[in-house]
Order: sequence, then structure tokens, then C-alpha cells
Amino acid sequence: MDSVDKDKVTVIDATKIDTSKYKREVKREDDAASQLKSTGLLNTLVYAKDRAEKRDQNVILALVDQVVNWGRLCSIWPVTSGLACCAIEMMSMSMGHYDIARFGSEVFRATPRQSDLLFVAGTVSKRMAPRLKRLYEQMPEPKWVIAVGSCAISGGPFVDSYAVLTGVDKIIPVDIYVPGCPPRPEAWLYSMIQLRKLIKEEGVGITWGLDK
Amino acid sequence: MLTFVGVAFVFIALFLSRVVRPSAPSDVKSEIYECGEVTIGDTKFYHNLQYYMYAIAFLIFDVEMAFMYPWAVHFRNLGFIAFVEMFIFVGILVIGLIYLVKKEALKWTQ
Amino acid sequence: MIFENIYEIIAFILNSAGILQYMQSYSDALGISIAPKLIIILIETALLLVGVALMVMALTWMERKVLAHAQARLGPMITWYHGLLQPVIDGVKLLSKEDLMPKRADRWIYFIAPMIAFVPALLVFIPIPFGRDGAIISDLPMGILYVMAVSAISPIGILIGGWASDNKYSLLGALRAVAQDISYEIPMVLTVIGIVLITGSLSLQDIVLFQDKIWFVFLQPLGFIIFLVAAVAEMARIPFDLHESESEFVAGFFTEYSGMKFAFFFLAEYAHLFSIAAIMTTLYFGGWHGPMIPMIPPIITSIGWFTLKVLVIIFFTMWLRATVPRVRVDQILDIGWKVMIPLALFNVFITGLLVAGGVL
Repeated sequence: MDSVDKDKVTVIDATKIDTSKYKREVKREDDAASQLKSTGLLNTLVYAKDRAEKRDQNVILALVDQVVNWGRLCSIWPVTSGLACCAIEMMSMSMGHYDIARFGSEVFRATPRQSDLLFVAGTVSKRMAPRLKRLYEQMPEPKWVIAVGSCAISGGPFVDSYAVLTGVDKIIPVDIYVPGCPPRPEAWLYSMIQLRKLIKEEGVGITWGLDK
Repeated sequence: MLTFVGVAFVFIALFLSRVVRPSAPSDVKSEIYECGEVTIGDTKFYHNLQYYMYAIAFLIFDVEMAFMYPWAVHFRNLGFIAFVEMFIFVGILVIGLIYLVKKEALKWTQ
Repeated sequence: MIFENIYEIIAFILNSAGILQYMQSYSDALGISIAPKLIIILIETALLLVGVALMVMALTWMERKVLAHAQARLGPMITWYHGLLQPVIDGVKLLSKEDLMPKRADRWIYFIAPMIAFVPALLVFIPIPFGRDGAIISDLPMGILYVMAVSAISPIGILIGGWASDNKYSLLGALRAVAQDISYEIPMVLTVIGIVLITGSLSLQDIVLFQDKIWFVFLQPLGFIIFLVAAVAEMARIPFDLHESESEFVAGFFTEYSGMKFAFFFLAEYAHLFSIAAIMTTLYFGGWHGPMIPMIPPIITSIGWFTLKVLVIIFFTMWLRATVPRVRVDQILDIGWKVMIPLALFNVFITGLLVAGGVL
């Protein structure tokens, strides 16, 4: 430090720097708010014609399909089930500040018969696996699974353990994976938004009773 | 009439649901949900006798109330003597209630 | 114009529109002179059904919003303005949800249980006066007794629902729910006797007209408190929610119900909430009485006052749910039998003494 000539040091005035060239262009379409808007009723109805053409379906049927899908994506009721520490984050997600209720999903039903979504939140031990599978199989038909946390995805830190299942997708189909140990509530909410997109896009809609 | 409309409403809604809903029954799904465990034994097991005691006590007091309604409607015409008579009747029932409580018939865990 | 009930109002409207005469002549020509009468009754019942359904939907939305704001959350936000369409969406979802029937369930009873729970909750509204000048389906002379009798049917729906689904949790939940219902039925009906002693009439219209000057809350303060506690228990709201005891029996008596059948239990619960709040308004808060606003027809103003009072009571119960913890099952039944019934009898005693002494 001593060798530096103090006369040659130029003091930079921070206020004079032009910061505008460092600003990043944010793409508005990709952020969460606009994705939410794209799942509204009007948008869903407009999308119906598009889908009818794509799937070679009657427009009226596609319309009903869209309405039903819209109903499903706005009221996803999860099961009250948590396997390990990730479930604590689930609680924090449903409380104030994060508030899953904005998506109409705060109705945690205690029985799988009345719920649509299963959060696999935490380590799936080999003892628990048959129970979890049974729980999933007893949910009525339109049902989705979100695997939360690295334990549920792949076994996480317990991957070498003799007692832990390496990934819940070995026993039940998983729609969305949320990595993290545990994932922050924002990540859970983002997974909810992705699930809404998935339900909107998916062609399942309704299996017609009259078609069967 | 309202009964018919109400029942018809339920039937229409159930039929609509039958048209719209998916159906994919399976063996595991149509078993009983008991927190993920396999059910053991029959559901028609022996219950706590306590429910029966409450039902009997309810029956006694319900009949008492059915007696009290006509009395209450004509109370102004009957005068003070009706008041005394009714409360002799109610007094006997209150003694019965005290007896039930003393005998611990209305206690939840025996 | 003074009307007796809604039937006459509809007949008057149809008459002045000129439809009734046409209908009458047409049905006379066909030889079924009862047809116009039936059509008017159908319109009447449809009006009631739609009104109750709308109210119930509004209540589910209100419940979620009130709870959310009590916990510093926002509640449903993304479905239209502040989530107002949320009940409709829930309906659409439950309609398109798979409807399960357990293998060993008693099929016929399992199917009929939601109906038995739902229809009495509608029937309760027949003798309740919604407003003045005949906004009432039928002014039964046995009004209050009828209401109590009909609302006592829905525990049967609960019991057979729990029995038929062949689940241990449902069965125990149903038994407990019915034990609670019948325990609180007694103090509730006993306090009503205090009111009947003062008015000397069972008709709800007479009871409302009696409260022209002073409401029964002020004449019967003890009775009101007992009725309030018993009503909260009958509605199965949170301090006394044995019906949906989530911490003990998975979801109470409707553990096995899914899809539309569950929706009907849900609707019945909220219709019951509405009906008991309406009875409480009628008995203790002067029914449709309230300052009349000039320029607006009194029938509309009075219905507005009635709705306002009902909503205030329902808001109170939701507030209670957000504030108070649950009561254990033995404590619930102890309160019912050892505190409420003696207090209710004491209330009848005091009221009888005052009426016989000529004070009231």
C-alpha cells in the first residue's frame, strides 16, 4: 500500500456513474404475476377455440372442458400430510406473508377423498412408502402430486441410507419437483403456479360420461 | 312441495355430476380410508354405552319440553296456579337430573 | 297493498301482468284447474331455493375472507374481484370430481344421507318472516315448534351418513356429533319457552310483531346468552365443532364422502348456519324491524334489515372461529347437561314468575 503514489489516486464520485447501461431488461411475460393472469376465466375461454382446433374437438365441448379446467385450477385443495421438516415450510406457506389462500388452495382437507393435491413434503422412509402409496391411490380422480425437497426427489442427504426411498417417483407419479432443503415458501408458491399452468395446458379435462 | 323441489335439486345435481365427472375405480380406492393403514376387523364394533345414556336423558327432557309448549301458550289465561303446577313437575325432573349427575351417568369416561 | 305471504305477492304480480288469467283459462280448458296454483307454488319454492343457495355461496366466500383477514392474510384473490367467484369455482370443481363409494358401504343409505341432511335445512325457512307485508312463505300457527322439529331431522342424516360409510372414524364422529346435537337441542328449545311465555303465541310473525318497541335481547338477556351458546353448538362452529373434528376423527362423519355428495353436506352445514342465524334474528333481534327509509318500498327495506342482522350474527360466529380454541368432547357434553339445562330451566322459572306477577 505504501508504494502507491497518493497523488495519482483518483477519487471516483459514485453519483456521477451512469447506471442505466447496467440495468437488465426484464421480460414481463415470464414473471409470476402475468402467468397468473393468463389463467383467468376470459383467457381460458378464448383458449378454448385454439384447443378445439388443435385436438380436433367440438368447440362447445372444448368450452365446457375449459370451464371445468378453470374450476380445477382455481380450487386445488391439498391433503393435510407432511412427512418431515419440509412440512414446516408448508405451514409457513399457508400463513400470512406468503398466503397460499390467494390461489384458493388454503382448504387443507384431512381426508384424501375431498382433496386434489398431495404434497410429498419430506423424507420418504421405506416404512412410510406403502402408506403414502395407499394415501395417493385413495384420492379421487383428478389428482396431482408435488414432490418437495431433495429427500422426496432423490433421497437427498439420506441417499445412502438403508431405510430411505431414493425418490418418491419410484412409487407414485409426480407432476412437479421442487428442489431445496427445505425449499423456501416462494418456491412452493412457484410450484403452485406451475401446477396451475399444467392443469390449464393438460388435455385431460373431463372424461365424458356420455362418451364412455 | 319444497321437499320435492329440494330432493329434485339434489338428484339433478348428482346426475349432472355423473355426466361430467371422471370415473376410475380401483380396488384400493374403494377400500376404507384409515390414515393409510389397512383396515383391521369389522366396523360394527361395540360402542361406548355412554351414547345410550345421553339418548335416554334426551328423550326424557324432550318429552318434558313437548309438555311445556302448550302450557306456555296458554299461560296468561291459566294464571299463577299453572305456574306452580308446572314447576312441581319440572322440580321432579330436576331431581332426576341431579340423580343422573350424582350417579355419574352423564360422565363421559366411566 | 297488504299481502299475507309470498304466494299472494306472486299471484298479484302475475295478475297485473295479465299472465294469470291466461293461465287460468288455458288450464280450465284442459280440465286441470289446479295447474296455476301449482305453478305459483313452484315459482315460490324456486325463489326460496335460489335465495338460500346464493346466501350459502356468499357465506362460504365470507367465511374464507373473514378467517383470512383475521390471520393477516388476504384470502382468495385471483378469481374475479377479491375472489368473489370462489364458491362457484369450488362448485364446478366438486361437480367434476370423482364420486367414490366404499366397497362395503351400505349403498342406498350412503346415497340418501346427504339428502336427509340437506332438505330439512331448506324446509326450516318456510315459517320465517323475511320482511314485512308478507315476505314469508307461510305463516304457520305452530311456527317455532315446526322450526325446532324440522331442524332436529338433520342429525339423522349425519348418523346414517356415518353409519353407511363403514368407516370407524365416520361412525365415531357421527355418534359424537349427534350426542352434541341432541344435548344442545334441549337448552335451545327451553329458552324459546321463555319467549313463548311472553308472547303467548308460537307463530314467528306474531313474535316479530311483538318486538315492535323492545327486542327480546333486552327482555331475556339470560335466555339470549343460553340460546347463543346452544346455537353455536347446533351450527357446529369452532368452539363446539364435533361434526368435523379434524384433530380426532379425520374429517368427522363425512370422511368417506367425495365429490358432489360431500358438496351437499357442505351446503347443508352452511344452510343450517344461515337458518339458525335467521331464527336468532327473528326471536331476539326484532326480525325485520328497523328504521324504514322513505322512497323505498317497506318490504325491501325490511328484508334488507333482516339480512343485515343475520349477516352480523354470522360474522360473529366466524370471528369466534378465528379467536377461540376447541372444546373437548366431554367438556362439551358437561357444559350442555350440567350448566346449560339448569340455567335454561332457571330462565323459564324467572320469566314465568314475572309474567304471572304481571310485570311483563
